[in-house]
Amino acid sequence: MKKRTIFLSISLALMILLSACAKPASPTDQAPVAGTEEEVLLVWDQFYRDEESKVIETLNAEFEAAHPGVKIQREVKVLDDLRTTVKLALSQADGPDVAQINQGRNDMGALVEAGLLLPLNSYLEEYDWGTVFSTSVASRNSFTEDGKTFGTGNLYGVSPTAEVVGVFYNKGIFNKNGWDVPTTFEDFEALLAEIKAAGITPISFGSLDGWNAIHEFSAIQHLLVSLDYINNLTYGVNNVSFDTPENRQAAQILLDWANAGYFSDGFPGIGYDDSNNLFKAGNGAMTITGSWLAPELMVDTDQEFGFFLLPPYEGQTGLAIGGVGIPFAIRKTSEKQELAAEYLNWMISPRAAELWSEAGMLPAMALPEDSKVDTKNLFGETLNAWNTINQANAVGHYIDWATPTFYDTLVAELQKLLGGISTPANFTEAVEADYAAYLQSQSK
Amino acid sequence: MANVTKKYPGESRWKGWWYLLPALLVYLLFTFLPILETIRSSFYQWDGFSQNKVWIGLANYVELFSDPKFHNALQNNLIFVIFYSLIPILIGLFLASMLSRRPIPGFAFFRTALFLPQVISMVVVGVIWRWMFNPTFGPINSLLRQIGLDVFAISWLGDFTWALPAVGSIGTWVQYGFCMVLFLAGMQHIQDEYYEAASLDGANAFKQFIHITVPGLRSEIAVALVTTIIAALRVFDLVYTTTRGGPGETTMVTGFLIYRAAFTNNRIGYAAAIATVLTLIILVISLFIRRYQQQGSEESA
Repeated sequence: MKKRTIFLSISLALMILLSACAKPASPTDQAPVAGTEEEVLLVWDQFYRDEESKVIETLNAEFEAAHPGVKIQREVKVLDDLRTTVKLALSQADGPDVAQINQGRNDMGALVEAGLLLPLNSYLEEYDWGTVFSTSVASRNSFTEDGKTFGTGNLYGVSPTAEVVGVFYNKGIFNKNGWDVPTTFEDFEALLAEIKAAGITPISFGSLDGWNAIHEFSAIQHLLVSLDYINNLTYGVNNVSFDTPENRQAAQILLDWANAGYFSDGFPGIGYDDSNNLFKAGNGAMTITGSWLAPELMVDTDQEFGFFLLPPYEGQTGLAIGGVGIPFAIRKTSEKQELAAEYLNWMISPRAAELWSEAGMLPAMALPEDSKVDTKNLFGETLNAWNTINQANAVGHYIDWATPTFYDTLVAELQKLLGGISTPANFTEAVEADYAAYLQSQSK
Repeated sequence: MANVTKKYPGESRWKGWWYLLPALLVYLLFTFLPILETIRSSFYQWDGFSQNKVWIGLANYVELFSDPKFHNALQNNLIFVIFYSLIPILIGLFLASMLSRRPIPGFAFFRTALFLPQVISMVVVGVIWRWMFNPTFGPINSLLRQIGLDVFAISWLGDFTWALPAVGSIGTWVQYGFCMVLFLAGMQHIQDEYYEAASLDGANAFKQFIHITVPGLRSEIAVALVTTIIAALRVFDLVYTTTRGGPGETTMVTGFLIYRAAFTNNRIGYAAAIATVLTLIILVISLFIRRYQQQGSEESA
């Protein structure tokens, strides 16, 4: 009898355990006690790197200090992790009140379509966010209410950081060889040849991870196309094609660079982080990537680095890939929408701009004029580049937002192009096939 | 107490279920129900989080069988079987017969060292080998250059011809130790008399291996085949950490397609359809091997 009792109680305990797993106690289950209850704001973000995380911790602490009785419960995840879990979490009644939602159709678009994100238009007016960011920035976080059309309609998120893709260069190598920062694309290509002839890797680059090859190609593409074209392509409007002479030319230039040996030796087998580490250690005169690399290049190195925009063709203007970082959004079913909006406003405050700048990251907001942040460094050079393209209205796009499968298609097709498996014409045709199929599926 | 002891052992069969219950509950909740849910999801179009779940019958399967990406991935999985299963079993057989026939100093050390890859997490294995294969500072190419074989110092994981064999050979490295230990254990059950009789009859070592060792290891080989083939068909972590299916789609496998469909493209139904087909393939292959093994043991009995 005794044994049976033990097993009965074990299985009973197990069942209790399982039912507990199925329905976790949430803070809302607790009976509210008037006056003493803390209001808990659940926030999911993906600023997991040390310097980034410190910025968020500081802002959160200051928010709590300014709002007595409010407690921020923060959950940090790496982006891949956040993306795979946040969608389901936002459909739950105890999900995060505020979460960072990746832009683009698969993430923000899908969540808007499912009716899980709160439109922020009323807060846009209430907090006067129109003075904080431009309409071009706002459109990157906007969708129509059905989640189908990107770049227009309601505002669903606010981005705290900004990004611009350009050229990092090793100042030591440039000075030693008497090279100047090129001001035209013709000069840039001549410089590549000169660096190669000097026995130095001109561009530190590895395509093993794939995604940075999109930036490599698209940075050149941005010099050849108009802002209207890149807007139309990204937002899927006005029926543009990917199979154009300009895109083909950009692919040809990229292929020529690869064939001329301008990229790191064995670049198809080198990952993004490895190529950055090689560059940071002084192997390679330049690397083409986003401003997010600046904080890393400012510490733990004896090399000095600079940043410039990929220069336009002689006598022309060019665009640069750029945009704003992953935005904070509010769960539609959250009971603390007002507080959540206040938190969003806090994340894009002048104080936030200052903290991000100190960390070496571009803020999406303007720095206050009396700011004492040091800009005579690599961060300052990325800030100049960002201001330049904003003033010139030359902020392009990450083209992999264009269709739900564009990222995968671009990565695979660029690796084929660089591997000599396909030609620039094959490349633009294959990518256009993906794009046309998507436009067709949307028009149904 | 009294009413229990009155009965003879084994009389009340239903009591056994109580002992099974805890494990059965866990199995039902965390294995069986999710499998059923996966199969059910494969008939729907669903993004994984919204209320919008539409029954579309067999449409996911129809699309799947005409999807060239799926064909390519499945073909790569079959090539992985060579690297994950066939080569490790051959190496395992060879090493096991080397180690078992005559006493070798440091035997226990070799056995442990060769088995070690099996206990390392696949993610760690992937990260380590990605570094090993690095064309600039990886030890493999450094070695090749040092011995003058510069032409072979290619960018392994980024090469359209060599990426798949390179990733596959990592699988070989992981699996062969497991096969070897399995076969070593099996060989202890083969009586020495067989070998003595065979050598008296003039059979050389190779013939003894073919006619005594291999038949004697029939069930171990079957176990090795089932586990390694399953590993080859469901491979994901290794590809994710080394090549992400690239360059192009040369190392794309079905496991990665499932991940991509479910988590980047919000197509739970389609991902579930791939998973269901993959499960069926694994099931059929396992049953086939099991049957072959049972036939064999009946014949020898």
